[in-house]
Amino acid sequence: MAGANDIATQKAQDFVAGLTGSGTTGLSALAEAGRAALADLPVPTRKSERWKYSPITAMLASPVKVAPAPQAWPEDVPINPVPGLDAYRVVLVNGHVVPEACDLPVADGVVCMAMSQAVAAGLIGAGDEDWTGYHSREWIGAVNAAHAQDGLYLSLESGTSLDRPVVVHHHVTGQDVASCPRHRILLGANSQAEVVLWTSAAEGTSGMVNGVLEGRVGPGARLGVDKVQHEHGVLFHLAHEHVTQDKDSTFRIHTVTVKGHWVRNELNVLQQGSGAHTIMHGAYLPKGNEHVDNHTTMDHTVPHCTSSELYKGILYGTSTGVFNGKVFVREDAQLTNAYQQNANIVADAGASINAKPELEIYADDVKCSHGCTVGQFDEEALFYLKSRGIGDRAARALMVQAFIGDVLEGFGSEEVATEVEELLAARHSWM
Amino acid sequence: MLTINNLHARVEDTPILKGLNLQIGPGEVHAIMGPNGSGKSTLASVLAGREDYEVTAGSVDFDGTDLLELDASDRAREGLFLAFQYPVEIPGVSNLNFMKAAVNAKREHQGLEPIAAKDFLAMVKEKSALVELDGRLRDRSVNEGFSGGEKKRNEIFQMAMLEPKLAVLDETDSGLDIDALRIVSEGVNAMRNAGRSFLVITHYQRLLDHIVPDFVHVLSDGQIVKSGPKELALELEAKGYDWIKEPVA
Repeated sequence: MAGANDIATQKAQDFVAGLTGSGTTGLSALAEAGRAALADLPVPTRKSERWKYSPITAMLASPVKVAPAPQAWPEDVPINPVPGLDAYRVVLVNGHVVPEACDLPVADGVVCMAMSQAVAAGLIGAGDEDWTGYHSREWIGAVNAAHAQDGLYLSLESGTSLDRPVVVHHHVTGQDVASCPRHRILLGANSQAEVVLWTSAAEGTSGMVNGVLEGRVGPGARLGVDKVQHEHGVLFHLAHEHVTQDKDSTFRIHTVTVKGHWVRNELNVLQQGSGAHTIMHGAYLPKGNEHVDNHTTMDHTVPHCTSSELYKGILYGTSTGVFNGKVFVREDAQLTNAYQQNANIVADAGASINAKPELEIYADDVKCSHGCTVGQFDEEALFYLKSRGIGDRAARALMVQAFIGDVLEGFGSEEVATEVEELLAARHSWM
Repeated sequence: MLTINNLHARVEDTPILKGLNLQIGPGEVHAIMGPNGSGKSTLASVLAGREDYEVTAGSVDFDGTDLLELDASDRAREGLFLAFQYPVEIPGVSNLNFMKAAVNAKREHQGLEPIAAKDFLAMVKEKSALVELDGRLRDRSVNEGFSGGEKKRNEIFQMAMLEPKLAVLDETDSGLDIDALRIVSEGVNAMRNAGRSFLVITHYQRLLDHIVPDFVHVLSDGQIVKSGPKELALELEAKGYDWIKEPVA
């Protein structure tokens, strides 16, 4: 009789075998390496601690295919997901860039284009396709590599800065669709960029998004990312971001899951130059039977760096959440100042959160603080609000906004912050 | 204004109010005194609509409305106000947003448009001055980081903003120093008028030196056992509660 693992492996093999269709990126060596790695890498199962609370069994049960390139941007979907935001655009449908709908910056020292164009232009050399070896380390990474599609390629020379943010809008539509976008951001010394990574999915969509973003923030450079997931349908979204920071650089990312059937965000930040500063904010408010997982790794390897991490979640209905925040302070990383906070409200009896802060500190002269809370709405505070005439729903809305408010501060663009708040307000009937 | 008839209430399986009767007319100030555990705070909570308390018998008529049929927010909109013994801190909710939501909830109930921003700020300025909180509410979360005295003054400020028909003050004097007691009392006295009634719940006679009641009631084991004029408070202060054993006939 086959063991559970064999069944999982068989399902995974079937899933991979059915996953036909290839990307248009032209990263053929990476694709080949990905296919080869798939044969050897273990399939994530509940037995692995990293996947214990986010099994991919349900995803593997439905075969998906990479969709052919679309003819055009769908008419009924706004190209710019953020009303009023003056921004450059790289837009994708099901992992394919739609060139006519893009609006790219043209300036000295700025290279901003589709990943496929960057590959065609020889900007990604042999052996440079995967900075962290993700495809050879993780089964999910190998799946992405084997079917790597298009995405953003942004490279800024030293001292340049983008005058407007770049919105990367990935829209997913159709059934049993696989999308494997790949993005790369490379900021030269003292350069600056703001990027909005927005994923939307149409009603009735099903399938998998398996995306990779690689970032390198050069000395003194500043990168800000507003990452928003607003996905209808039944989509399994696996996002993997890896950002490496040099001396005196700043990296900020806000990750907000407005809506998503099953989401796993893996965010890894490596500080390899002293004086680097990292800000990671995240918010998740799943409803129904949705699942949102945020796995973060903050790796301090050199002295005099700081990090500030704040994730908050409110879980409704029978939704499930995961927060796993790992902070490494390596032996050489003296005078690190690392802060991590994760707070959760389990709003309904059927909802649950698995929250796990993990700190590994090997240096002795550091300041690390962390906190993790799981609770319910404060009934006494609710009664206090109601005793002043504020209705139950409005009182809860006030409490939710108060709870989540500080996570939503500090977006790169006011317009993104406003749109996110409005989407959340509409979804949760605040006000 | 308020007619409580044979009110019985319990928390879980413990009966606390056991047939309480009380009538408060418009413009009257009634004080309720009584030993610990007599049911004073339970009465305040039951009137305000706290859900942990179950009313098992009796009725409460509030200016022609069956109070017990309303939930807490509707009671407030109808003009009932409870000044909490322990005001709650709500981090992240600003005092002014909170009050604006409350004022507008009441206005909506009365069929009025939401208050204009300018009028609201003018109202805040006027009412906060009443309890010497001027300029100390803006940019701060509800009661967060407030001293005990500031919290009680904030209760009176909220009362002044909402202009209730009946205000229940639940041990508002507890934890107050002499100055704060004076400020709170002056705030209450400034709001006394022919149409507004007060139910002042207290352990100590000293509050009643400042807020002079029309009637004093003694609550014991869930019933009013003695009622009298304001001098009754002095008598209680001198003799304690032990001499009052049985309910009034």
